[in-house]
Amino acid sequence: MKRNVMTSVIGAVLIVIFALLLFVFQVRQSEVAVVTTFGKPTRNLIEPGAYFKWPWPVEKVYKFDQRVQNFEDRFSQNLTADSNPLLVMVYVGWRISDAKAFFPKFAGGSTVAAQSMLESMLRSAKSAVVGRHPLADFVNADAKQLKFDAIESEIEQAVQSQLQTNNCGIGIAFLGIKKLGLPENVTEAVFQRMTSERQILISRFRYEGEAEAQKIKSAADRQAAETIANADAAATRIRGEGEAAAARVLPVFEQNPELANFLLRISALQQSLNQRATLIFDERTPPFDLFQHLPTNAPSR
Amino acid sequence: MSHDHEPDHTHEHPAPAPVTPDDAGSQALAEALRSSFAIVKVVMLLMVLAFFSSGFFTVGPSEKAVILRFGRPVGEGGKVLLNSGWHWSYPYPIDEVVKIPITEIQKVSSTVGWYFTTPEQELSGEELPAGTSLNPAVDGYAITADTNIIHTRAMLYYHIENPIHFVFDFVSASNTVQNALNNALLYTAAHFNVDDILTRDVAGFRDAVLQRVSNLTEQEQLGIAIDQCEVQSIPPRQLKDVFSQVTSARENRNKLLNEAHSYENQVLSQSGAQAASITNAAAADRARFVESITAEAKRFSDLLPKYESNPSLFAQQTLVQMMGPILTNVQDKIFLPGRADGKPRELRLMLNREPPQPKTTTQQ
Repeated sequence: MKRNVMTSVIGAVLIVIFALLLFVFQVRQSEVAVVTTFGKPTRNLIEPGAYFKWPWPVEKVYKFDQRVQNFEDRFSQNLTADSNPLLVMVYVGWRISDAKAFFPKFAGGSTVAAQSMLESMLRSAKSAVVGRHPLADFVNADAKQLKFDAIESEIEQAVQSQLQTNNCGIGIAFLGIKKLGLPENVTEAVFQRMTSERQILISRFRYEGEAEAQKIKSAADRQAAETIANADAAATRIRGEGEAAAARVLPVFEQNPELANFLLRISALQQSLNQRATLIFDERTPPFDLFQHLPTNAPSR
Repeated sequence: MSHDHEPDHTHEHPAPAPVTPDDAGSQALAEALRSSFAIVKVVMLLMVLAFFSSGFFTVGPSEKAVILRFGRPVGEGGKVLLNSGWHWSYPYPIDEVVKIPITEIQKVSSTVGWYFTTPEQELSGEELPAGTSLNPAVDGYAITADTNIIHTRAMLYYHIENPIHFVFDFVSASNTVQNALNNALLYTAAHFNVDDILTRDVAGFRDAVLQRVSNLTEQEQLGIAIDQCEVQSIPPRQLKDVFSQVTSARENRNKLLNEAHSYENQVLSQSGAQAASITNAAAADRARFVESITAEAKRFSDLLPKYESNPSLFAQQTLVQMMGPILTNVQDKIFLPGRADGKPRELRLMLNREPPQPKTTTQQ
């Protein structure tokens, strides 16, 4: 009996497995799926997980990669609003947003077919948007006038709206300019212009260097002269202060000008005789007047 | 196969059991069936074990793993990611294990801004001679804000931070990163003037590229974290000479300016020192002058009473007192007594101290 139960359990498990294989299918994390009933799309499965279906030939499952796919269009030439030829290449990240709409549009959901449609949409959107902007919107040192982002989002919107009107089941995740270029003959002209700009710079640097250096040197000279003149003035002022201070002392000497005069003469005498000097005295000069009455060895005539 | 055999056996076996046949042949058959059934059971058990143990897997040190159960990630939020070590999942087709390198630093280089070279040329350092123009089909370049042409390229280092986004949302995420880098280079070059990119603000240019790339990758929800970005920019090879001339002219100018500045420093410090010595000398003069006159005034005041008591005596005394030290200082002292007859004496003096040629002065 026990064996019987075991046997039927195993049989049931096997039947369940077989049934699951027939009736259940998985949608992986990165996938979306469309279920067709007798060839007509009926269900759209976006969330990953396990789903039930009727076995073939009633229902059939088509799975699509839902991840963002990269696509780049051709590096094609367009005219800007100010008639400059500009080569632009854009890259676009697109994904299947609505598999039910996507699937019938492109023969069994071929991404190649989808990308070629995307390319033609991009081409027209790109030339329309580039034609609306002057070159200064693409390259500009002024951040306010640069419309790089705006151009990108305009192209994106144009493509997006075309996709929507055609109901392609494709969504644009992002779009950006990948490459900008100029026609080959224009690059040559640009090189010539750059060369002349460089030459202007060279001569400017040369001139500027000398002029600036001269300016700095002469300013330094002027400042030095000013400093010394100021110092001289200050010195005169300081000496004047000294004299003023001395003048305050002068009334002391006025008490007796004779003594003052005498003292001045004495100090003058002291100073003048400080250095090598030869003094010749006669007998009337004190203190040598003491010798006056001494007998001298001079022969008296 | 074994699954198909097994039910047959179990159904066959119980049927003949109650019959209890007497003949040895059928008994031997039953015996054989029983023993083969036992073998089949063991094999089945082993297979079930093998089935479940096939669910073990390891996650390496620099990777993470995600288990997809019926295609849907197992776990919530941060628990989705399995760290390195041993793990178990149900075997296929229930679970699927996706391994993702995460701590590894990935790098991607830009493709649009550089002229045409092959990797071999890049390695050997030799360059093809540049033509007079750039062919847009093969040569890449960026257009600067002042519509100059430069070559620029970047290398971006990043690691995956959110593997769910990186792996399950993009067919080729690294390609998307590359496009973001290309776009960032062009976009940033369109902002900057040629001299800023090449010399004046190289770091600013790099930072702006980095900023743009991280903005784009964030917007696109790539789930990466950017570690580093290296940018290299050069002028077109066609204009190499003229660009280097600008550089040398600029350097020359800077040299001139530096020289001028050092001259300036020298002159200013010299003049400052000179001015200081002038004012200091004046201050010293002032101090000395004031001090001496004050000292004299004091002496005057001290002497005044003595003088006033007897002016002529005082004068005599002072003079004589003074003469003493003066006379000790004086080198030559000549005393000239008056002539006895009272007539003036004539004295001839020869001075040859300084100049060698004799010079005669007469003095009384």
